[in-house]
Amino acid sequence: MADPFLSIQHVKKAFGPTTVVEDFNLDIERGEFVSFLGPSGCGKTTVLRMVAGFEEPTAGSIIVGGKDVTRLKPNQRNVGMVFQAYALFPNLTVAQNVAFGLKVAGVAKAESDRRVAEMLELIKLPQMGDRYPYQLSGGQQQRVALARALAPKPKLLLLDEPLSALDAKVRVSLRDEIRAIQKELGITTIFVTHDQEEALSISDRIAVMYGGKAEQVGAPFEIYNRPATKFVANFVGTLNVLEGVVSDAGSGRVRINAEEIGLKGKLNGSKTGDTLSLALRPEAIALGPRPGHDATLSGEIADVHFLGSVIRVRVGIGGSKISLDTFNNSSTPPPNVGDKAEISFSSGDVLVLH
Amino acid sequence: MKSGKFWAWVTFILGAAYFFIPLIATMEFSMRMKRGEYSFEAYRVVLGDPRFQESFTFSVVAAVFTIILGVLLVVPTAYWIRLRLPQLRPVVEFVTLLPLVIPAIVIVFGYIRMYGSNSPLPFLSSDMGTNALLVIGYATLALPYMYRAVDTGLRTIDVRTLTEAAQILGAGWTTIISRVILPNVLIAVLSGAFLTFAIVIGEFTIASLLNRPAFGPYLQNIGANRAYEPAALAIIAFVITWGCMSVIQVLSRFAPKSANRPN
Repeated sequence: MADPFLSIQHVKKAFGPTTVVEDFNLDIERGEFVSFLGPSGCGKTTVLRMVAGFEEPTAGSIIVGGKDVTRLKPNQRNVGMVFQAYALFPNLTVAQNVAFGLKVAGVAKAESDRRVAEMLELIKLPQMGDRYPYQLSGGQQQRVALARALAPKPKLLLLDEPLSALDAKVRVSLRDEIRAIQKELGITTIFVTHDQEEALSISDRIAVMYGGKAEQVGAPFEIYNRPATKFVANFVGTLNVLEGVVSDAGSGRVRINAEEIGLKGKLNGSKTGDTLSLALRPEAIALGPRPGHDATLSGEIADVHFLGSVIRVRVGIGGSKISLDTFNNSSTPPPNVGDKAEISFSSGDVLVLH
Repeated sequence: MKSGKFWAWVTFILGAAYFFIPLIATMEFSMRMKRGEYSFEAYRVVLGDPRFQESFTFSVVAAVFTIILGVLLVVPTAYWIRLRLPQLRPVVEFVTLLPLVIPAIVIVFGYIRMYGSNSPLPFLSSDMGTNALLVIGYATLALPYMYRAVDTGLRTIDVRTLTEAAQILGAGWTTIISRVILPNVLIAVLSGAFLTFAIVIGEFTIASLLNRPAFGPYLQNIGANRAYEPAALAIIAFVITWGCMSVIQVLSRFAPKSANRPN
């Protein structure tokens, strides 16, 4: 990346003896939509709050547009932020909420009114200007919060789990709306979430965080298909993990129970006799042989869950249970629990976890 | 069940009688100034007395300044305690309760010793200084009520998130307190203000010992020298206090609905 718009360099944050963020580094390009994804307590919100200026880094620096903002106060950074709890001012109408930042900045009334109307149009609530926050639904309130954050034309938009308080249906429609608005305005955005589906569906890049560090930063496709660590593989998507023993390091053979599969070129220096954790996504596995699948394992059907369009089957292989999904086909009845079964997959889809 | 309801009513009626009979008796007595007939003569005399008007006006002005001082002192303090220093909450609560356990006479003697004409801060050497001291004393007496009212109001809003939302939009502390926090706790502040008003209107000790022409000492003076007028004054003071309480009730209906919490 030649000239990043936002650069978070060696940032560390400690609260007393507890280190919450350790040596966090990330460069974000202008107009990029980056998600911080991780479980509670991984430090994602703390990094966001340091970018906003609500927390001061213990070490490291934050550069926005070539300017070091590490020690600047939040009201000096020209950053927009949307909070999980909406944080609309209850005493102000929707229009007054959206105009708040403009008024603070001393924008003339006519210009402010024009901008408020533009923002309300953008969030598709042009008739709601006179309403108070308590008269709006959760989704509408969060859209107003987005309009309020965008009204003063911030350099950077920070979204702190903005969809967490909403119901599932609104969450999906609003996340698409947020992404569309972000693309339309071309504003550099950081989105904090613990929901992998949200992060995978709307981000240009994802920083998967764990224990105060970025475990992996990459495009959603890369994060999902080529997880760099065991944590990323486990946290993003559903993962089947099998224990295997290297039976012949030279030819790349790995034994799982009594059967062997070939993983040449994937063993990363493992020696014969080493135990490996092998991971497979459910969608990479088929029940029975399939063209292109060069590895098979035998087991017994342990569970069958009918989920409508999809049937989730769990196959017991040794001490492990492997999940796989098959499409519901009305002419083919689902397998029965206890039936012998063979699963197949491509050895190229196997992830060797380190 | 029926028996329970019966005893509940008995308790309620006894309680109501305990409060209302003295009030009715006072009211009845205040209307017997003219022999052989009920009249509002005592009220006419009291309301027509220039000393009543002067002392009442003085106390109303003192109450207004006390409320302003109280708001300026308590709102930022309670806000800051909630936002940044929650660990100091018990200490501040204890300090604000002190006026309830330390008699006003102790406070006023402290003032007289500390701010007498020979002290480095001779508040008591001028009328204006004494009035300022009176207002400060009243603000101290009203502190437990004002602090609790404001703190309760702050509890109904998400102080931290609202502050951060305002900060990120470019607002400084003055804007945050005046345009975000204060309007959202206005009803609570008004509750505290009316309680302060009620305290100031009836306060005797500080005003008397600082020798200020306030309503409290006037009430006492009339009570010591007249028969029917004190009863009329008591009723007037009661009506003013209850008027204040009613205003609090009415205003609380207009409190802004909290919309800053997720559904």
